[in-house]
Amino acid sequence: MKRPALTNLTNHTIALLAPLLILVSCTNGTDDSPDIDEPPTYNFTRSGDSTVSFSGQTTRILMADELFISMSDFDNATEESLLEMYRNQTEAGGDTDPFSDAGLNASDKSIKSKVAASRDLFSSNASLSAEIKNDFETWLSAQVNEVFPNRNEFADSGQAGQIPDGSGVRYVSGEGLEYNQLVNKSLIGALMADQMLNNYLGSAVLDEGTNRQDNDSGQTEEGSAYTTMEHKWDEAYGYIYGTSADPANPNATIGEDDRFLNKYTGQVSEDEDFSSLSGDIYNAFKKGRAAIVAGAYDVRDDQADIIRESVSKVIAVRGVYYLQAGKNSLSEPSPDYGSAFHSLSEGYGFIYSLQFTRVPGTDQPYLTHQEVTDLLDDLLGDGPGGLWDVTPETLDDISDEIASRFDFTVEQAASN
Amino acid sequence: MKKILLCLFAASLPLFVHSCTGDDPSGPGSADFDRQAMLENWADNIIIPAFASFSGQTGQLRTAADAFSAEPTQQTLDDLRQVWGAAYISFQHVSMFEMGRGMELRNYLNIYPACTSESNQGLTPEEKCSPEIRENIEEGSYNLELPSQYDSQGFPALDYLLYGLAESDEDILATYTTGSGAGDYRRYITDLAARMDDLTKEVHSDWEEEYRDDFVRNSGDGATAAVDMMVNDYIFYYEKALRAGKVGIPAGVFSGTPLSSHVEAYYRGDLSRTLLLEALDTVQNFFHGNHFTGGGSGESLKSYLDYLNTIKEGDDLATLIDEQFDAARSEIQTLDDNLALQVENDNAGMLSAYDELQKNVVLMKVDMLQALNIDVDYVDADGD
Repeated sequence: MKRPALTNLTNHTIALLAPLLILVSCTNGTDDSPDIDEPPTYNFTRSGDSTVSFSGQTTRILMADELFISMSDFDNATEESLLEMYRNQTEAGGDTDPFSDAGLNASDKSIKSKVAASRDLFSSNASLSAEIKNDFETWLSAQVNEVFPNRNEFADSGQAGQIPDGSGVRYVSGEGLEYNQLVNKSLIGALMADQMLNNYLGSAVLDEGTNRQDNDSGQTEEGSAYTTMEHKWDEAYGYIYGTSADPANPNATIGEDDRFLNKYTGQVSEDEDFSSLSGDIYNAFKKGRAAIVAGAYDVRDDQADIIRESVSKVIAVRGVYYLQAGKNSLSEPSPDYGSAFHSLSEGYGFIYSLQFTRVPGTDQPYLTHQEVTDLLDDLLGDGPGGLWDVTPETLDDISDEIASRFDFTVEQAASN
Repeated sequence: MKKILLCLFAASLPLFVHSCTGDDPSGPGSADFDRQAMLENWADNIIIPAFASFSGQTGQLRTAADAFSAEPTQQTLDDLRQVWGAAYISFQHVSMFEMGRGMELRNYLNIYPACTSESNQGLTPEEKCSPEIRENIEEGSYNLELPSQYDSQGFPALDYLLYGLAESDEDILATYTTGSGAGDYRRYITDLAARMDDLTKEVHSDWEEEYRDDFVRNSGDGATAAVDMMVNDYIFYYEKALRAGKVGIPAGVFSGTPLSSHVEAYYRGDLSRTLLLEALDTVQNFFHGNHFTGGGSGESLKSYLDYLNTIKEGDDLATLIDEQFDAARSEIQTLDDNLALQVENDNAGMLSAYDELQKNVVLMKVDMLQALNIDVDYVDADGD
């Protein structure tokens, strides 16, 4: 079953790539491409000093982690405290210490400022950026105003409350949505993927101003060992590997280092249909960074495209996976609503995240904001109860629609 | 899904047809076995007698809890503890039967570790259980039907209240006599015991009066057939409650960190291995179709597999499964009575027991289900 499929794919790929191969050899013939010295792990130095830095990304991953956990802290969290974690500011814009980690409180960075804030997708779309930033605030507020007061009620259609999931418990809105899952999974797109694919890996940022000239001449940023272009690339890297046990060799623990992009890159790569993704992403980051050192910008951009395609696919595969998992839970002899709503809330966030993906070689996401909005409306639109009313057909339709934009099948995504 | 795909692939190669489906085309098919006789044996000779016995135990538990609550003394405490232990052992005989009204019995009777302030130590708000048992008692109002209350009731909560409140019996008793809120503590004990008894009797009478006939009549095949559901419950119980809950989780198989406080009956201490062995005996007896009262047996998973003459790698599958139960038991018998101490002192022994238990997950969930043509109806949660 597998083998014939792979053979077909390979044949197709070769057929499709044939013209490209000619192009590549032409380029090589006219241009002395610089030697790229790719290190065994993501270690880059200049005069003995490491040039790799992404502390700001690590900070934001940790902030998002605290925010997610705090959403379940019924005894201590308030609407104000959650919004302050999201903004790292008071409502009036003043300084605040919302985190338990003093290092995060001391930081002037925030989650919100980098949500839907990429150069390529949002620099000339401030209204959409504001709308998306506001979606997160809506979910945070709703968690406190809808779910917290009903936490000791049984959830039902139109009634927020708790619902069993196996031997555990989930807390959902009247539509069956777990807001903490919406925040968690939507940040994977709105923060991590958007910053990575549509900001730091885009030539608008990498080649801004005199970046190429400075990089070619080895002009480093003041007080730092890295050139601006090197640093931008590393900041993209930090959004997936910023909390890795060994950031230079992150695939040793891929999937275990955060609850965002790292986690789901690891999980999707455990599926034999997608097992190359974690390696593809890491290798492209490493080769692209080495290409920057060598001044080989075409090679750099090829690697950025590999990352764009692969990270986008992680999000899409996981979204379809959760839709199908939810469908299966609802199809059991006695429907397991708690388990289904948990899966579908995760799926909701991954679908939301699709608007921040990026088709390589274009300036477009795989699904636009409007398309994502329509799919999410469909997900909640089978009846007044939202997820309480969703049908298997609707879940299959949405799954098919997502998969049709990529080169995988619903079946492959569902089998993780 | 992958398995099915592999089977389809293998099916295109004649050589592999037999080993893939486990369904010898020339031999008897699964449809010809007398499924109804097996369902009758399960219901009439195993499930209903086991519930009848357990229901008697929870009745005694309720009586002993009332007696203790009316007059907390060392004597009434000892009596209640003794009855609690006997009922906990008896519960192992019904825990796997999560059908009909019994669907949620284990959730309300045996989710552990119990939610206490110590089980919350070092956890994030997301991981913490709530409300804690003491919170319930001190606030005096609680809805034990809520899923968030699973781990604040049942056997694990009584384990904590009877053994874990303080170091010495004297101090434990003081909580119920002279401590502040002593009356609230006494009432919680009687509330818990009454609820356990009520829930059990509800399931028992449902089996006797209604569910038994539905169950036996539903003798076809397919996802909602009684055999398919029972076998799924059986394997789910073995995999999740027995292998993982009683052994794997405390041994740190899933978390990477041994968690000795996650054993069953942690506060009592020396009962955990007994409960594990009782559960394993129950699972093996069910496999054989042995009557609950002893002295006889009827149609069973084993006789079903024998009927189908299921061979795995040249060996009889039913025998392989049976011998694997024995191998797991031998390994467990080398462990400390107190599995928490076993984890703390020699976790390698726990891990060996886990490995033996795990082998039967594969034999049953993969090979047996293929032979019986039953689909798995549950999925592994991804833990987030």
